Amino acid sequence: MQEWQIVLPEKKHKKKFFGNLLEEVIKPAICSHCTACAAICPVKGITAGDRPIDFPNWLKDCVDCGACVKVCPRWDYRPLGGVGSYIEMFSARSKRFLGQDGAMVTEFTATALEEGIVERAIFVARDEEWRTRTVSIIDPEQLKNRKITGTKYSFADVLPAVKEAVLDSKAVAFVGTPCMISALRKMQRSFRKFERVKLAIGLFCTENFYHSQLSEFLAKKGVAMKDVLKTDIKKGKFIVKKADGEITFPVKELDGIIPPGCKVCQDFSAVEADVSVGSVGSEAGFSTVLVRSDIAKRIADAIRARGYAEFRDASLEAVKKLCDYKVKIHPYPPKKEG
Amino acid sequence: MIEVLIDLIRYFLSILKSNQLDIPLIKPIIALIMKIVAQIPIPYLSNLVDLILAVILWRPLFAVVVMPGLTVLMIYLLYIVWFERKLTARIQWRVGPLEVYRPLRGAIQALADGIRYLFQEAIVHKDAHRPYFVQLPILAFIPVLLPIAFIPAGNVVGIKSPYAVQLTIAFISLIPITVIAIGWASNSRFAFIGSVREALMYVAYEIPFIVAAISMIFLYKSGDPYIIVENQWIPGAILNPLAFLVFLIAMLMATSRLPFEIPEADQEIAFGPFVEYSGILFGLVMVLAYEKLYVMALLFTILFLGGWNGIYISLLGDLNAPIWLTIKTIVVISIIAMVRSMYARYRIDQAIRIGFSWLLAFSMVALAIGVVIGYEGGI
Amino acid sequence: MKVEFKARRLDLLRMHLDVIREAFKQAVAPDRVTVEYPRERKKYPANFRGIIVFDKDKCISCFRCAHICPANAIQMTFYEKAWPGIDYTKCIFCHFCVDSCPTGALRSTKIHDIAFATMGEMKLNAVQMLKAPELTREDSFTVEYVVDPQGWRLEKKAEIDELALEQFIIPEKRRVSVCVDPESCLGCRLCVELCPNDAISVDRKANKLNILPEKCTGCGICVRNCPMKVLELKEVK
Repeated sequence: MQEWQIVLPEKKHKKKFFGNLLEEVIKPAICSHCTACAAICPVKGITAGDRPIDFPNWLKDCVDCGACVKVCPRWDYRPLGGVGSYIEMFSARSKRFLGQDGAMVTEFTATALEEGIVERAIFVARDEEWRTRTVSIIDPEQLKNRKITGTKYSFADVLPAVKEAVLDSKAVAFVGTPCMISALRKMQRSFRKFERVKLAIGLFCTENFYHSQLSEFLAKKGVAMKDVLKTDIKKGKFIVKKADGEITFPVKELDGIIPPGCKVCQDFSAVEADVSVGSVGSEAGFSTVLVRSDIAKRIADAIRARGYAEFRDASLEAVKKLCDYKVKIHPYPPKKEG
Repeated sequence: MIEVLIDLIRYFLSILKSNQLDIPLIKPIIALIMKIVAQIPIPYLSNLVDLILAVILWRPLFAVVVMPGLTVLMIYLLYIVWFERKLTARIQWRVGPLEVYRPLRGAIQALADGIRYLFQEAIVHKDAHRPYFVQLPILAFIPVLLPIAFIPAGNVVGIKSPYAVQLTIAFISLIPITVIAIGWASNSRFAFIGSVREALMYVAYEIPFIVAAISMIFLYKSGDPYIIVENQWIPGAILNPLAFLVFLIAMLMATSRLPFEIPEADQEIAFGPFVEYSGILFGLVMVLAYEKLYVMALLFTILFLGGWNGIYISLLGDLNAPIWLTIKTIVVISIIAMVRSMYARYRIDQAIRIGFSWLLAFSMVALAIGVVIGYEGGI
Repeated sequence: MKVEFKARRLDLLRMHLDVIREAFKQAVAPDRVTVEYPRERKKYPANFRGIIVFDKDKCISCFRCAHICPANAIQMTFYEKAWPGIDYTKCIFCHFCVDSCPTGALRSTKIHDIAFATMGEMKLNAVQMLKAPELTREDSFTVEYVVDPQGWRLEKKAEIDELALEQFIIPEKRRVSVCVDPESCLGCRLCVELCPNDAISVDRKANKLNILPEKCTGCGICVRNCPMKVLELKEVK
């Protein structure tokens, strides 16, 4: 006879576990759309995509396993913030790849694949209309595709792809926003198989958007998504580069379409990641890199040794300023507006 | 009135009785039949039976209807279909027809086919020339069956003529015309192509065939079958082997036998001129080729194999010659049937080339040989 | 192509004579290899793929045969357990099902010449497959192709071939389901619900899952359906 123990979280309501999630996270509008619950649901009942998280017909179909509650970063939410601990910090630009700024996310992934630290990486690609889909990278050559590298300011179902990759492969990497990184750490604590995610790259993040809402907003500004070459958020401005010029507007104008779950997030620099990458603190064309774990240090050393990137100094104050700014504007519990 | 009739019958009887078949074997049987009939008290019965027997045993009728005539022809047809199919199958590692009557292992397949043709619908399609389409298969039998009246077998002959061989050759030459006409009457593209092929083959084999036969006539100095058979202590095949070879190959070409089965190639032209026939008309045209082979084989036997020469059995009397002729003909036909299983089909241009080059050359040389041997004062 | 003219003619003659000689030889002693079915039957080898026969005592309801059938000819229906039924309008006699059966419950026979009166009769259910179909044997001879250095020939024996045997004894490798990574178990209890033999059970009060190896038949349904792939089939000594 073989016996093993399962640990169930404590229910806060007399409902099935998804009902609990609904009451504690989704209805209070603190769900960050990290899609960890959709990834882990054993009956694949939780839906994500470009809509808020939901489980249609959960009253009948939810098997009450509690996995969604175990991995949700907003369950028993204690916000993390600040710059976080790091081994080293620098500014760099990849010599091999083109990305959003210095393409350092791409460079870290490529080097990790080449070093054999990971077998597979989950990236997000886009189509002509900037709709997102996940891709599985097994060869650095795939990263030459400019539709795969670069920032897409829309939600993508990254963690479900990570879960599938973890079942097939023993060493996986992925790129995600700070909420996804926090969710991954919770998944790793609850279910040992997720320790197969050897490299979690976090992005500097202030907010994300639903693709349909962003698309509509830009259309009102006279921009069609398929004309957009690059999107950027720098110094409080949302910059849209097109073939025939640039459109800029203050980020405050986007306030109406920022998802409420982002408005309680205080983690700017992805403090739980193995390495955090972003544009703040570097000059144009360069990325700031915060190496936080030993694995990331190995990769950074390999990049240095092989000369795959150009290295400069990064500005810690700039990063700190933005981390504090995000903590300030996103208090938790949120202030009730009068 | 009755007396005139009886007189007439007596006159016919005397004609009949003057030319009776002389078979010592059946004389006691006839006597027995007459005695039995005499016992039965029906008036004129014995006279009637006498008349019937006289008619049957009247030499011309016997030649044409029984042997070597229509009855033997029927039996030969049954035999040749079975023999050819079974032998060809045997050589080709097959079994041939097997299931029709299991104890006989399929021997009566031809009979079954014939009965089936009687029950099958004979379709005359819309585009055919209807009168020709229906009548030609029957008309085609005229040149096929007429020679049987002329070819003798010893004393048994239909019409005695010193020009029997030439007549036979002439009739045989008429047959392909009917075949071409049959293809034309069918008014269909395969039939048309088949007719054209038949015409081409006709031209290719006819001249060597006629020249070879004529060379034998020169050799024997006569076209009378009696003189020809009498002069054959050495068979004609050895006297003029070239003519023998040419005649054999011309026979293969004339009767559409492999390797010269060109007008009727199943796989190429869907049975050529006869493609549109079904039912009893189809049965008739199928039989046409076999009967042409029979007639040509009879001529072949007389010219080259010594005709009805053979061991004389005194018991059989007049039946000797027909039986020997029939046996030799059947042997010739059986060997020709075997050729079918061995060879592949020639192309039309190859066959015509053979006809106009080799066959013509050999037949000319055979003619020269025939003239020389014939001129030398006979054998 | 320059060939000596005379030689070529002689060659042709020789070939003609060869053909005639071969024809005569075949006419007298044919090499034929025709099997006069149905009065004779060809002896089929031991691994012939014929009609399939089912042994219900060995079946563990693992559904492997239904999943692997490339023609979708197998449907499982519940009698005592889920048993396979084969639709012979679709079956292509590939015997993937026989190969994939872990206990040898599906067996082949040498019977191939079944005739059905209607199409409805061709869908056999498991109960109809328990015995080999009945045949009227018309054959009294068995025919076998024998290949030896002289070539190959047909040997006829006056015996009747046994058709319904084919008892391949599959060496039984008993396997049971084992949780190889309990720390990754979600606790979703899908395995408990799917197990057809109730070998996995859950204690809701103590939050414990357990597998009873003696009840497990190794069908593998739990292994295939675990969302975190923590169950595996392991051999039992």
